[in-house]
Amino acid sequence: MEVKAGSPAATSGAHSVSAAETEKWMEAAMHMAKDALENLEVPVGCLMIYNNEIVGKGRNEVNQTKNATRHAEMVAIDQVLDWCHRSGESPSEVFEHTVLYVTVEPCIMCAAALRLMKIPLVVYGCQNERFGGCGSVLNIASADLPNTGKPFQCIPGYRAEEAVEMLKTFYKQENPNAPKSKVRKKECQKF
Amino acid sequence: MEPHGKEEAGSPEQELLSSPSPWRVLPILSEQQSGPVELVPAYAAPVLDPRQTSRLVREVSAALPLPAQPHLKRVRPNLDASLPHALELLLCLAGDDSGTCTLSELLPPAVDPHGLGPPFLVPVPARPPLTRAQFEAARAHWPSTFHEDKQVTRALAGRLFSTQERARMQGHMQQAVRAAQRAAARGLRAVGAVVVDPGSGHVLATGHDCCSAATPLLHATMVCIDLVAQGQGRGAHDLGPHPACSFALAAAPQAIRPGTVRKLDCCDKDGEDGLPYVCTGYDLYVTREPCVMCAMALVHARIRRVFYGAPSPDGALGTHFRLHARPDLNHRFQVFRGVLEDQCRRLDPDT
Repeated sequence: MEVKAGSPAATSGAHSVSAAETEKWMEAAMHMAKDALENLEVPVGCLMIYNNEIVGKGRNEVNQTKNATRHAEMVAIDQVLDWCHRSGESPSEVFEHTVLYVTVEPCIMCAAALRLMKIPLVVYGCQNERFGGCGSVLNIASADLPNTGKPFQCIPGYRAEEAVEMLKTFYKQENPNAPKSKVRKKECQKF
Repeated sequence: MEPHGKEEAGSPEQELLSSPSPWRVLPILSEQQSGPVELVPAYAAPVLDPRQTSRLVREVSAALPLPAQPHLKRVRPNLDASLPHALELLLCLAGDDSGTCTLSELLPPAVDPHGLGPPFLVPVPARPPLTRAQFEAARAHWPSTFHEDKQVTRALAGRLFSTQERARMQGHMQQAVRAAQRAAARGLRAVGAVVVDPGSGHVLATGHDCCSAATPLLHATMVCIDLVAQGQGRGAHDLGPHPACSFALAAAPQAIRPGTVRKLDCCDKDGEDGLPYVCTGYDLYVTREPCVMCAMALVHARIRRVFYGAPSPDGALGTHFRLHARPDLNHRFQVFRGVLEDQCRRLDPDT
């Protein structure tokens, strides 16, 4: 798997990343996904890298905030905005030169948000068969949506098996905030 | 809190008098429901001896079943007056590049071809019709059965909602329009939204577009989803600087009485604290069709229904996508457009 990352095919666009960069930042993103898993959130972690610096990072915070839109990418986008504010940088300049490293393919919502922020490149681990917005369910990354920011480039597949394993582990345990199944609901009504 | 499940819990006199220009609410159906009728080629043959018809139907149906086309009738009347036979029998589907075939090539030995004429190719509807319009189009090609979804038919005819329901819908959209106007007055984009608990009629969140350089993704829908979370004691955004954005504290549902009609909802609802899971069971009224980000956010938030005023160019609930009606996503919801459409359209020049 590792050999493929940063392959020449992926560097044809305006933005490219080296194999060493991919290895380094995806390792950090994997750690964040593990942190999410330990905190009973969907195990997705991501980093926003601008000029070889982490300007934002996030993991899923849906259960903590009761806001179903708080995916890792949305959390990280808000961190980049904060970073821009603190360091006096222009958000549009920063986002247009930022690479997102994320353990799972961004969902349809996040892919649209990444377009709106005009992030040029996303490196991700496994496919997101349930919600994926970079080709699995829809391809928002490349869709013709003239009023929704800019399309972005994707490099999929880095450490995909590990990312999938974490998701499987999560879905095997129970999401404490998700609606209960009818069976469990009945058990609850007993007292 | 008013008792749940009562048909007319709201105040019917609200907003009826201040009626603005007339509006019409239309359902946004799935691609499958609203698309044209897809045709596939099939072989049929004239029934030259009418006395053989029932035997032929029985034998052909048994030997050449059409499991994916349960809607297709086996026999149709001959519509070509220049030909003497009265009936035509559907034999089997044909491949896309099929040519002329003989009966002995098409029929297995279990079917006695006696009484049939030479087979011909005919396009037939590939899938069961889902709306009356699809049914009419389908049966123009081959007789089909139609299991009508009465709710879809009434919705398409604009007869789904009672006068009282329309008055309530208008009241909620007027609140969204007012929120949009307050946004515009502050130099923000004129898009407004409210979240309503349809059981009680209570407005749980009122929001408007809060996009700025510092918060470029706070579209009205994203704001409302967070306001609902704030009403549940959480949330992620500081909307304090926007006084027109407000929420009501969510109350845990009252004790479920046996025999109430809201059983389904109770199974959907409640996390550990007895509060609904995100926006489960709630309706959103928004002046403008949500974008892809907001529409998928509503899928994640498990909204119940969305009413929007005017369509938007990249809109994801009808214009560019129909994210609410995809069989491959884990949550689906109903979408209606057109509530106060003219007023909503005037708010935002881009719609």
